Amino acid sequence: MQNNEASAAMEVEAVPSVARTLPPKPKFKPLKAHEMSDGQVQFRKVSVPPHRYSPLKKAWMDIYTPVYEQMKIDIRMNLKARKVELKTRQDTPDISNLQKCADFLHAFMLGFDLVDAIALLRLDELYVESFEIKDVKTLRGEHLSRAIGRLSGKGGKTKFAIENATKTRIVIADTKIHILGSFANIKVARDSLCNLILGSPAGKVYSKLRAVTARLAERF
Amino acid sequence: MAIPSDAGSEALHRLKTTDPPQWLAPSAALSQTARAASQHLFSSLRPYAPKTPFEQLLVEGFDAEQIWQQLDLQSQPLLSSIRRELKRFEKDPEEIRKLRVAMEGKEREKGLEDEVEKMEVESDDFGEDLEDLEEEEEQQQQKEGKEDEDEDEDEDEDEEGEEGNEGGGIEDRFLKMKDLEKFLKEDEEREYGSKKKDKKKKKVDDGDQEENTEKEEEEEEAGDDEDENGDGEDEDEDSEEMGEFGLDDDEDEDTDELGNARYEDFFGGKKKKPSKKKSKLTGDLEGSGMDDDGEDDEKQQTLSTHEKELAKRKLKIEQMEKSNLEPKTWTMQGEVTAAKRPKNSALEVDLDFEHNMRPPPVITEEVTASLEDIIKKRILEGHFDDVEKPPALPSKAPREVKELDENKSKKGLAEIYEEEYAQKTNLASMPLSFAEEEKKEASMLFKKLCLKLDALSHFHFTPKPVIEDMSIQANVPALAMEEIAPLAVSDAAMLAPEEVFAGKGDIKEESELTQAERKRRRANKKRKFKAEAAKRTANKPQDGTLLNNNDAVAEKKDDEEGAGVAR
Repeated sequence: MQNNEASAAMEVEAVPSVARTLPPKPKFKPLKAHEMSDGQVQFRKVSVPPHRYSPLKKAWMDIYTPVYEQMKIDIRMNLKARKVELKTRQDTPDISNLQKCADFLHAFMLGFDLVDAIALLRLDELYVESFEIKDVKTLRGEHLSRAIGRLSGKGGKTKFAIENATKTRIVIADTKIHILGSFANIKVARDSLCNLILGSPAGKVYSKLRAVTARLAERF
Repeated sequence: MAIPSDAGSEALHRLKTTDPPQWLAPSAALSQTARAASQHLFSSLRPYAPKTPFEQLLVEGFDAEQIWQQLDLQSQPLLSSIRRELKRFEKDPEEIRKLRVAMEGKEREKGLEDEVEKMEVESDDFGEDLEDLEEEEEQQQQKEGKEDEDEDEDEDEDEEGEEGNEGGGIEDRFLKMKDLEKFLKEDEEREYGSKKKDKKKKKVDDGDQEENTEKEEEEEEAGDDEDENGDGEDEDEDSEEMGEFGLDDDEDEDTDELGNARYEDFFGGKKKKPSKKKSKLTGDLEGSGMDDDGEDDEKQQTLSTHEKELAKRKLKIEQMEKSNLEPKTWTMQGEVTAAKRPKNSALEVDLDFEHNMRPPPVITEEVTASLEDIIKKRILEGHFDDVEKPPALPSKAPREVKELDENKSKKGLAEIYEEEYAQKTNLASMPLSFAEEEKKEASMLFKKLCLKLDALSHFHFTPKPVIEDMSIQANVPALAMEEIAPLAVSDAAMLAPEEVFAGKGDIKEESELTQAERKRRRANKKRKFKAEAAKRTANKPQDGTLLNNNDAVAEKKDDEEGAGVAR
């Protein structure tokens, strides 16, 4: 169309009368999620690790309700394959809903609490970052155990301190660490955790946290 | 150059016969004879000393020291062999007799009178020993005597230092008589500009060789001299400078004789001839400054004092010129590092330099007393010099420290972000932090306080501003409920009109009522009362009759009972 218009414009000098009346631009309604992939239904499958199986069972209704009602995504549990399956419906408003639900479920499978994972559904800018302790520093045997202990603290107080200060949620699964939160906050939490892995004492990490969060808070 | 033994012995004899005073003045002839004599002696002793490297004593053009060394070389092994012989004789007395005869013969042949004398003396001693062999004491004595003699001999032929030790008693590592003498001689030489010490020394040596006692005495004298005079050198120099050697010597001799008597003076008598030798010795010492040759002496004596002084001055000038040519001593060189001066030389020099520090105060009793007075006064006054911190006014408000909560957060993550978003967009005026809530509370309290104070203080009362707060007000009398009502608002404002009065129609006061209305009102009242009473009696059917007041009370009681039963 534009090329024609261009050629038409070029021809305008030659034949001005033809170029005056152009057909109006077509206006399309935004595509529904359903129609986006040419009317095909989209699936997502989230596998359930064995240790999250019973928590899933317990919290099933709390998972199902927001997904089905508010996100408008079909959800079902494939017991044989031990997977949760998601499917778009016809009235799914936005294609990103499917992805959000998948992320929500994935977060739940990683070990996050339901109320925390729900935030993924509600807010756009939340992400989950995972890394391993060995990515930071190669530790073996007792050193590794000590590092994990340092990360959690007594009764988990260090972990909670970091969570509260940076407005994130942290899951420490043996050697894997998952952080849920906004981008900047994830960074801060990750730095604190890395410092703890590398061996700095908790007090030092606290002081740094305080400084950083104060700075973050001042911005607003 | 071999001198025939006759000439040698003749020389010896001549030396012996010379008068002692002649030894005072150095003469060439005497020195020549002395040399000849020493040569003769050396060669005569040579057969007894198999190890000597010299065929004969070399005296031509040799220093006194050198001649002495040659003699020493010969005499040392000789001495040790003699000692061995002595010991042998001690053990075996028979041999002595044989030897004695042989020795005597030998000595006569050779003409070594001194040696013979010595040996004779020794053999005599031995003879005495032999006679009194059984008596051990005598032997011991003799041994001691021998030892003394041996010592003497040793001293004679050994270095001067030992003799000096015996004589002076002040010799040790630092002060050697030999060095002392050398210095003296050098000094004298400098003074008088003659170098005749060699001859003098040779003379001394020759004297020793001839008569061993001389040397010993010389050393003793020297030692005594040093002992007597605190700074023997100085005095000697002084005396020499004066040029008078006679008087001083005499004085010294006298004092020496009395002051430093030694064992040898009493018991080793044969070797000591003090007076004669002392004079000789002192004469030698003092005379070193003067020309050795008599001829030269005569010449100097003819010089006038002026000429003498000129000579002295000339010497001095030469000396100073010489010292100017030489490199200066390190003290005169200006900036000198430690490497350029000899070791520990700075200790010997009296250095003077500025001290940049104040010298530490000397603590005396007065100082301490004054200090204590000051302290007491200060304590009484209470005037201390403590450093006081200036009152720190906070220039800016203290930053609020956000405490880290170490417990699991009760709100979910979603809620937290929700709140954050709400704050950002100011949807709800939520206190940002704990501190803000407290601030609000504080400001409220202050406002209340201010209001009360204003009410007390201001003439024109300003009522409190009404805080629009939605709350339910119950129409209950104030006494019944603790009502937090603002002072300025009356009950009328608080309650709704219906609550104030719930009635209808035209309401009139008592005074406004007419007669008829009053009657009507009373009639209504009566009617109500009757209705009520009838109601009551209707409730109690047992007591149908209407009784008077007296009975009413009883009736009431019955009614009540009846009512109770009826239920």
